[in-house]
Amino acid sequence: MAPSDETDEEVRADGTGIVPPDDETPTWGERKTRSQGLSRLTYEYFERSRREDQDMRMESSYVERDVLGFPTWPHEMIRNLAITSFFVGMMIFLSATLPPHIGPPANPSQTPAVILPDWYLYWSFGLLKLGPLNPDLAILGGSKLMADRTYGVLANVVIVGFIAIVPFLNKGSARRPVEQPFWAAVGVFGVVFSFTIAALSVKNLIPMDPNLLFDLTFLVPPVAGFIAYAVLRTMREGYMFELNRRYYRLRPPK
Amino acid sequence: MSLERKDDHDHGGWMKSRDLSPVEKGYLTVLIWLDRRLRIVDYLELMEDLYYKANLQMPKSHTEQYNLDNKFWYWYPLYALGSFSTLAYVVAAISGALLGFYYSPSTAAAGAEGELTVAYASITFIMTELNFGYLLRSLHRWSAQVMVAAVFLHMLRVYFTGAYKEPRELNWILGIVLISLTMVFGYTGYLLPWDQLAFWAGQIGVEMSLSIPLAGEWVAQLIFGGFSLSQSTLQRMYILHVFFLPFITTALIAIHIGIVWMQGIAEPH
Repeated sequence: MAPSDETDEEVRADGTGIVPPDDETPTWGERKTRSQGLSRLTYEYFERSRREDQDMRMESSYVERDVLGFPTWPHEMIRNLAITSFFVGMMIFLSATLPPHIGPPANPSQTPAVILPDWYLYWSFGLLKLGPLNPDLAILGGSKLMADRTYGVLANVVIVGFIAIVPFLNKGSARRPVEQPFWAAVGVFGVVFSFTIAALSVKNLIPMDPNLLFDLTFLVPPVAGFIAYAVLRTMREGYMFELNRRYYRLRPPK
Repeated sequence: MSLERKDDHDHGGWMKSRDLSPVEKGYLTVLIWLDRRLRIVDYLELMEDLYYKANLQMPKSHTEQYNLDNKFWYWYPLYALGSFSTLAYVVAAISGALLGFYYSPSTAAAGAEGELTVAYASITFIMTELNFGYLLRSLHRWSAQVMVAAVFLHMLRVYFTGAYKEPRELNWILGIVLISLTMVFGYTGYLLPWDQLAFWAGQIGVEMSLSIPLAGEWVAQLIFGGFSLSQSTLQRMYILHVFFLPFITTALIAIHIGIVWMQGIAEPH
């Protein structure tokens, strides 16, 4: 070919030059599969991520925030295995002392005074009773856009959906409630609301005016959330001071 | 040239060169036979790894390493809730399988009285006549209650320690699916005794599914077997409770725990 080839040294195929060693040189078939479509992309991405790992290892700037997780084995599992028999024993003790009650047999012709699901569905059952909040439109002559029970089922879907997308709304590396007072307050709001809405669902059993109970159901959770927010904001000042003190000791502010 | 596969690594020759007792020889033959088919070596390595990690001095936890104990030791008992709910699930599965030997999902009239259904009568039999039957049912019911409670608290712990953040969003969503499945598990199980509570809770379920726009009637027929409660409702609840849900839930729990294992435990920083 070109004269320059003759002046150069012989092509090194042992892995020290830019040419890959003979036994690693891809065949034409391999080259073709690598240069096509999704397999090509996968290959390139894996190369990149392997490179990323390598770089991170080389830099080794290991700071506290880089700890993403602690090994499940043995730390957590040892603890969990150790308390296994305690927990199982606790369940056996409970079931031996408090056997379940058998209710009267099903009777379709007699509606019981109190209809309730199991306790863990109270919140969902309470959401079915949001009829008074179902908006009606003036255009439709005051009739409701959707039936009350459809509205209740929709409320369930909305709440579960909101919980599901929390990780995509609250980002960042804050972990503890003191570091993120707002989201901790949202959590407190949710917990308190689940209790108040459960109380609303069993309103027949609660000696209180149903209208007052309905109002309290929606008033108490925001108040609790607000208090949690205020407390955590106050705690954060002192907490951040403690956390930063070591830093200031090393490098005092001017 | 023979068609027989040759022994690449000459395991046979190696065995001949050793002076092996018959027991050792038999053991090695079986081991090599299995290993050439199943590659047990890889799994042995895993076991070895687990063994050594458990017996070595444990590395310092994040908390100890940065001397943060005083900051959040109070979160720590709550880190066992996930395993607690798994444990309750296992107990419920075992006691439920045993209960299944005695329960029959039928709304047919039991005996000559014509009042009681077969399902209700089998519950009564389990509770009053079967040896330790009351304990079995009690254990099933309590482990179910404990599982639901633990799952709820587990979710709260994950929320308040921010453990759902960046690498763990998928597992959070998987957890939402699992908590919903747990509640469906509870609901279908609640209906099985076919007493007054079960019947009217079933009625609410039918009304809820009927109120879904467009697909409501279809859903009611698929899940409850009609617009009013009948034999087919009970039978569908039973099959959901003992066949569909166990398979789906067990698989998802395995994936959930597998992801936790791969990603590690998120400790609050």
